[in-house]
Parts: sequence; C-alpha cells; structure tokens
Amino acid sequence: MKVELKNIGKKYEGREDFTLKNINLEIDDQDFCVILGPSGCGKTTLLRMIAGLNSITEGDLLFDGRRVNTVPPKDRDIAMVFQSYALYPHMTVYDNMAFSLTMRKEQKKIIDERVRAAAQLLQIEDYLYAKPADISGGQRQRVALGRAIVRNPKVFLMDEPLSNLDAKLREHMRVELVRIHKQLGTTSIYVTHDQTEAMTMATKIVLLDKGKIQQVGKPDEFYNKPNNIFVAKFIGSPTMNIIEGVFKGGKFISNNETIVLTPSIEDGKTLAKYEGKRVSIGIRPERFESGGEFGDTFTATIEVVEMLGKEKILHAKLSDGSDLVISTPGHYEYNEGEVHKFGFDINAIHFFDTETTMRIN
Amino acid sequence: MARKKENKEKLYLSDKPPLTLFGKIGIFLTYVVLFAWVYAIVWPLFQMFVSAFNGKQQQYIMANSNFEFSIRHFQYLFTETLYLTWVKNTLIIAGTTALLTLIVVSFTGYAYSRYRFKGRNASLMAIMLIQTIPTFAGITAYFTMHSIVSSIIPQFSRQMMLILIYTGGAIASNTFILKGYIDSVSTELDDAAKIDGCSNFNVYRLIIMPIARPMLTIIALWSFIGPFMDYLLAKVLLTSPKSYTLAAGLYTLVTDFRTMNQPAFAAGGLLTAIPIVILFIALQKQLVSGLTSGSVKG
Repeated sequence: MKVELKNIGKKYEGREDFTLKNINLEIDDQDFCVILGPSGCGKTTLLRMIAGLNSITEGDLLFDGRRVNTVPPKDRDIAMVFQSYALYPHMTVYDNMAFSLTMRKEQKKIIDERVRAAAQLLQIEDYLYAKPADISGGQRQRVALGRAIVRNPKVFLMDEPLSNLDAKLREHMRVELVRIHKQLGTTSIYVTHDQTEAMTMATKIVLLDKGKIQQVGKPDEFYNKPNNIFVAKFIGSPTMNIIEGVFKGGKFISNNETIVLTPSIEDGKTLAKYEGKRVSIGIRPERFESGGEFGDTFTATIEVVEMLGKEKILHAKLSDGSDLVISTPGHYEYNEGEVHKFGFDINAIHFFDTETTMRIN
Repeated sequence: MARKKENKEKLYLSDKPPLTLFGKIGIFLTYVVLFAWVYAIVWPLFQMFVSAFNGKQQQYIMANSNFEFSIRHFQYLFTETLYLTWVKNTLIIAGTTALLTLIVVSFTGYAYSRYRFKGRNASLMAIMLIQTIPTFAGITAYFTMHSIVSSIIPQFSRQMMLILIYTGGAIASNTFILKGYIDSVSTELDDAAKIDGCSNFNVYRLIIMPIARPMLTIIALWSFIGPFMDYLLAKVLLTSPKSYTLAAGLYTLVTDFRTMNQPAFAAGGLLTAIPIVILFIALQKQLVSGLTSGSVKG
C-alpha cells in the first residue's frame, strides 16, 4: 500500500511549538522506509501518527489515496512492532499471535494455520505454548514480529524493534527483517536512531531532525551526497570530518591555514560563486590517501590508534590543535605519537556552505 | 575442627558479618518485643475460642479454669438470636459492596491511569483529601439523603444506604491503589491491543484487567471485609434487629443487659471468621505477583 504524508504537523497539547511540521513524504508500495533521527526528533511521533495512536494536528495522511486521519488504528490494516515488544503477559505465545485475528472473529482453523505459518517463518514453533515471561529477549522479539505478521497487514510499522537485543542478534535480525519484508511484500516503515540499521535495511531513508525532514533518499545517496552538514555527520561511522575555512583564489583554505586544497575541476566550477565566502569541507575517514605523494597534503600527529582488524582508525591532531579521524587498512603500520603526511581523494570531498550548512557540489 | 566450632558459635544474620555482643543483645530484645506482641494478639483470641466452647461459662465470661466442652453457646446463637439473619444481611451487604466497588474502581482506576482530561489532578487531590474526613462525620447527611431518596423510591432501604456508604468509601481509596498499579503497566500494551482491534473497553477487559487481577482481588477482599468490621454505621443507621449486620447484631449480646450472653458473643465472633477465611483461601491463587513480567523489554 502506498502511504502519503501531506504537510503533516503535530503539536502536543500544552506545548508551545510543533513537534513536527510540514512533513511531506511518499512511501511507495513494498518500500522499506526507515525513519532515522537522533532521539527527540519526532520520529516515533510520526510513526504513531501513521498508526493512528496519536492524533494528527494538521495535514493529510493518505493510504492508497484515501484520507485516514480519523480512522481508528484497528481499521487501518496495519500491524506494529513496539520497542518494548508489548507482549500480553497473561497469554501464551500462541494466544498473543492469535489475538488480533480472534478480535476480528476469524475462523479457528484459519487462525491456527496463520499462527503456525508465522511461527515456522520465525522459528518459534517450539515455544508456542510458553508465556512471554519464560522466553528470552530475542525470542520475545520474534513473537512480537510474529504477532504483526499473522495479521497480514498492508503496512508494517516497527518502532526500534532491535534496540533491546545484543549486538550479534541484532545483526542477524536485520537480515531476517529484510527477508521477511520481501517475503510478505508489504510496505514497511521502520523507526530507528541507528544509522547502520538504516543503511543496511532501507530502500528509502528519511532523516529527521528538530521536527523537519533533512533528506529523503536511497542509502548510497545519503552516504555519497549528503544534503547538509547534519546529514553528513549523522550517517557513517566513524563520523565524517568537517573542516571549516574559506574559498579563496580557487582553493579551499582552512581557518588556520593548516589545510589548503584545490578542488577537482568539476567542483571548482560550482564553487566559483563562493569565492571569498566561508565554506566547509567534509571528508569521510576512509577517503584520505596515505603513504604516497598526492597533490595537496597535510601533516598530522597520530594521538590514538584504534585497531579494528580490517582497518585502523587513527585519531590525529593537526598543528593548530584540531582533530581529524582517518581510517586506513589494518595492515598499514601506524603508531601513536608518529607524524605522517596525508592526502585527499579529491573526488570525495563534500563542500558545504558554512552559513546555511547546505551542500554546494 | 576448631574453625568449624568457632563458626558454630558465631551468630549470622543473612549474609552479613557475624553479630557482635551488642548485636546479640539487640536480637534478644527484638524477640522479647515480638513475643509480647504475639501474646497480646493471641491470648484474647485464645480466650474467645475457649469460652465459646466452654459449657461452664454462664451469661458473663469468668476467667477461671473450669472447662467442659459443649456447643450450647452455638445452639443458643442459632435458636435464641437472629444470628442467621445477621449473617445473611452481612453477606448481602458485603458481597454487593465488593461487587460495586470492583466495577466502579475498575473504571475510575483505569481512567485516571490512562486518560488525560481537565481536572484530572484536581479531582485526584480532592478524592485524597476527602479521605481524611471520617465517614461517620456525614451521618446526618446520610439520614437526610436516605429520607429524600426513600420518599421517591420506597424500596430504598437503610441497608441499601449502608451499601452505598461502604462502596463510596471503598471507591475513593481503592481508585488510588488501582491507578498506581495500572500506571506500572506499559501503555505500549494498550497501543498494541488497539492496533490488534480492541475498543477502549476491550483493552481494559482483555488486557489490563487480567494483568491487574492480584490488585483487583485484594480490593475485592478488603471491601468485602469492611462491612464485617464496621459496627458504628450499621448500628446507627439500621434500626430493627432484623436488619442488623453481624457486628451490630453480636454487639447486642454484650451491651444490652436483657440479651446479655458473652459466651455466645464469643461463639458468634468465631463463626464470623469462617466466611472471610473461606474467601481468602478461594482467592489465594489470584494473589500471585509478577503478572506483568515478560510483557516488555528483553
């Protein structure tokens, strides 16, 4: 089902400001849309509005072109997985999963078929008759998913469903969720603050901050063409390096003149109108060049080396005291306290207008 | 060996370091106080028990060692007094009170816990403050209310008035208790149930009520016991012995010199405990804690 948000705004009673304002979004059928943002940005509110658990202050919410602003949650043909799982503690796993169908007065036989099919899909057949208190966190998580799947909903809503799992299980469930999403062929809307989850699972990412949409697009667009400095810093780990400076004489010069950089010819053209203005550059840690001679270089002292195996994260300091994070292949020899020269991959520089924080190139 | 012996001599309290001399004296004093307390509670009960079955006791209970087992005081209770009527009255009043309280408190507790509405905090405070005024202070108002209502609906008896008074008091205090309990249940459960197709009423009936069952059981029990314990309101409000509750009825056996029979009073008191004990045993299974565990988090 296609979900459209038109100019949606939300103001909680008793609050001065709008929590969300002017949200325009189109989520196509079978999309896996991830709503991403730091805590308190309004992403859960947005999801709850789509679910019908919170009222919509202004704007229209359309499901397949039909306005559903005032339709109660049970009639929206949606299912939701909660952060806390919200399993009914007094019912068995089976009853938990069958509950929504029982409420719809579905036939016993059909309910049984659907519950067992979902249990098989999620590999929870062995404890269908256990109570939620008797199973582990990961299993509860699956039951919560199962409860949503059984419904066979048109839209699948998930509110940080993996945040209570340990790292290994989370990795596993990420893949599983995408697999289930494809198998069911529904539209999924997934809320998270974890950019890794967003990057790995989404077909479409919506990044929210301070109640506004910062960027909408595919994961690689987010990584390679961030709209503004906020997006650039939010996506990617370790965080992108942002260096402030001015654009002068066709070159970028950092504030303390520790870094001087000539942009690529293409970037140079777009930057021409920023001559003499304050500009920031962004460069991902892995796009520094090391161990050779390149056009523009700078020297930095390595303060801390984080060894991750396949890569080494270098926390370096420039002569003016500013910090840079540089990632190099794990087998390169770098030690703390050493001074090295580094260059830039000139095609991977992001230019931002320092005033507006918006992307230039 | 030596060490073992040493260990034996030391006195441990749970998993703490062994007690010092002061600690041991403290423990001794604590036990003295506890035993005195137990004695103060158990001795009168024991006396009541013995007197109820002592055929040698006459109209007044005498503290002496003459004892002869007999159930004549019970016979007296059933044949010479309106004991069975009082039991029936009390059971009806207590049962109705418990039922009404449960129904109303279910709604008020859930509403106060889950809904935000104008005057929510103010009304909660009001309920809290009104608690501090003893129920008996309103006795004149109760009389007036009863005479007004009964002039319109003649069937409205004094007993019904009593039920309403008990229920009113129970609703106020128990609303707080239930609200507090439901507050501890995650609202995501409500949300999940709503998406699963529940109306507001069904959210309570199918999800919240089963979870709040231990608390509801306690509320039912308390409001059931209330009418058994209360003497004052029943005595003042109910006028004919036929309409008395147990407390008011039994009291006539020790105050009114025409009907005085203290051993029968003891016997009646003993029997009164029976329905309450039965109810306790029947409801024990419901009084399990930890029903919310497993609903949320990992």
